[in-house]
Amino acid sequence: MSTAVEVDDLRFAHTGADFPALERVSFRVSAGESVALLGPSGAGKTTLLALLDGRLQGWSGRVSVLGAPLDPDRPPPSARRPDTGFVFQEFALVERSSVLRNVLNGRLGRMSPLRALLGSPTKHDLEIARTALADCGIADLAERRVDSLSGGQRQRVAIARCLAQEPRLILADEPVSNLDPAHACEILALLTGAARTRGATALFSSHQPDLARRFAQRIIGMRDGRIVFDVPTSELNDDATAELYREVGPIPGIGLRAVS
Amino acid sequence: MAFRGFGGIATSGLIAAAILWSFATTDVEFSRLLSAGPRIADFFGRMFPPDPTVMAEIKKGSAETLRIAILGTLGAVILSVPLGILASETMVSPAVFRPIRTLLAFIRAIPLILVAMLMVGAVGLGPLPGIIAVAFHATGMLAKFYAEAIDGVSRAPIAALESAGAGPLVRLRYAIWPQMAPVVARDTIFRFELNLRESLILGIVGAGGIGFYIQTYVRSFQYDKAASVTIAVVVMVIAIEAINVALRRRFT
Ligand SMILES: Nc1ncnc2c1ncn2[C@@H]1O[C@H](COP(=O)(O)OP(=O)(O)OP(=O)(O)O)[C@@H](O)[C@H]1O
Ligand SMILES: [Mg+2]
Repeated sequence: MSTAVEVDDLRFAHTGADFPALERVSFRVSAGESVALLGPSGAGKTTLLALLDGRLQGWSGRVSVLGAPLDPDRPPPSARRPDTGFVFQEFALVERSSVLRNVLNGRLGRMSPLRALLGSPTKHDLEIARTALADCGIADLAERRVDSLSGGQRQRVAIARCLAQEPRLILADEPVSNLDPAHACEILALLTGAARTRGATALFSSHQPDLARRFAQRIIGMRDGRIVFDVPTSELNDDATAELYREVGPIPGIGLRAVS
Repeated sequence: MAFRGFGGIATSGLIAAAILWSFATTDVEFSRLLSAGPRIADFFGRMFPPDPTVMAEIKKGSAETLRIAILGTLGAVILSVPLGILASETMVSPAVFRPIRTLLAFIRAIPLILVAMLMVGAVGLGPLPGIIAVAFHATGMLAKFYAEAIDGVSRAPIAALESAGAGPLVRLRYAIWPQMAPVVARDTIFRFELNLRESLILGIVGAGGIGFYIQTYVRSFQYDKAASVTIAVVVMVIAIEAINVALRRRFT
């Protein structure tokens, strides 16, 4: 089976941060797999996903995405970017534009620059956008402005935009963090289902171990910028997740310490 | 409070020194102020009643001022779009936006009336130097406003379009422009209001508009006519402000 993501000994620190956000990170994801990233706040999930999307530079190690190595010092060429789709934690939609316009924005990298600038999508582009809307169950919202939508509806628009891009790798950063349990299930089913029918690979982060179990074939646990486990879903045990989310213990030199 | 601690005492001292210095070195004679009363009364007396026969001049002058403001604003918008982009940290690198911002600050520092005088010297009397002067002068502020509008938008949608493979200009059009459009509309209307107010006086230096008549009538001691034109100017300023307040409320 071919490899969608391959990461080897990755290390990255945000500018100005005095400790790395990612350290000694190595894993691989096969093409067509659905993989969940679990880990507490600050574990480095968003950082890792953004880096795989080619939006962070200045890291060290080896990273290759969809068979092409990423350059640690410059963004990937724009021709390669549409192949990797991203669902942002806070949606990143253009609030004052319509739902259809936002979904068409996902196609901008697939059009010639001139066509993109002139804003004249082809019939094909429109068809793909409408299909993405229908797949996400929001065909009737196409003409609505995004700032008039609910959180759950926005989440669907964000996913539809990503699908309209026709990515071969879908990176989704906490795609269900703003939803109630029923909607969270529905959206994750939608995302992983759409990836499967399109033959795409999905890597999504989450704070909810039970949802990750349900929708991923493999689960990677992260804490403090490191991978602490990487197991097939069937082998994930409750102790490992409990350990992952355990409270941070007393930090030497700061505040109260447990008296032994 | 603004004036507290040592910094406050120093600031107060500086202000007091500046006032004393101004009195000491300026030819402020209270006797002249006292004797001015009757003369001002005489001046106002000659302004009343305002002469209503200058209606035609008022109409012609205000129409020309309006045209100067409209075309001057148009010119400023055309100059400010590229300059605003080049002055924004979202679109270009510091090596580009720093010198452009300095240039804009320099333009803002030159008073409109000075630009107008230079333009009258360069292209002759009439509304044309007024239009050029307004366009130039207004660009200093408008391009800065446009740059701030670009830099003030939410970053996330820009990153999303970058991730989808859209280039910088495409991102400007689909991620930045929809967010900044209402701000640009408000800023442009605001600058148009300023342009209209400021171009009322351009006629004094021969750069066209209603100011020409005020200057002509005052110089020829026809204070009753000057009074009519002045009233027309005041009415115009109030009307512009009222219209703009109503317009701007629509872009929030
Ligand atoms: N732009 C930044 N500049 C400096 N430090 C950053 C920046 N973004 C993230 N960090 C730091 O990097 C670490 C990892 O952050 P990241 O956002 O990747 O965590 P996360 O796992 O996505 O957390 P969450 O579950 O809260 O979204 C944190 O310590 C965070 O403070
Ligand atoms: Mg995150």
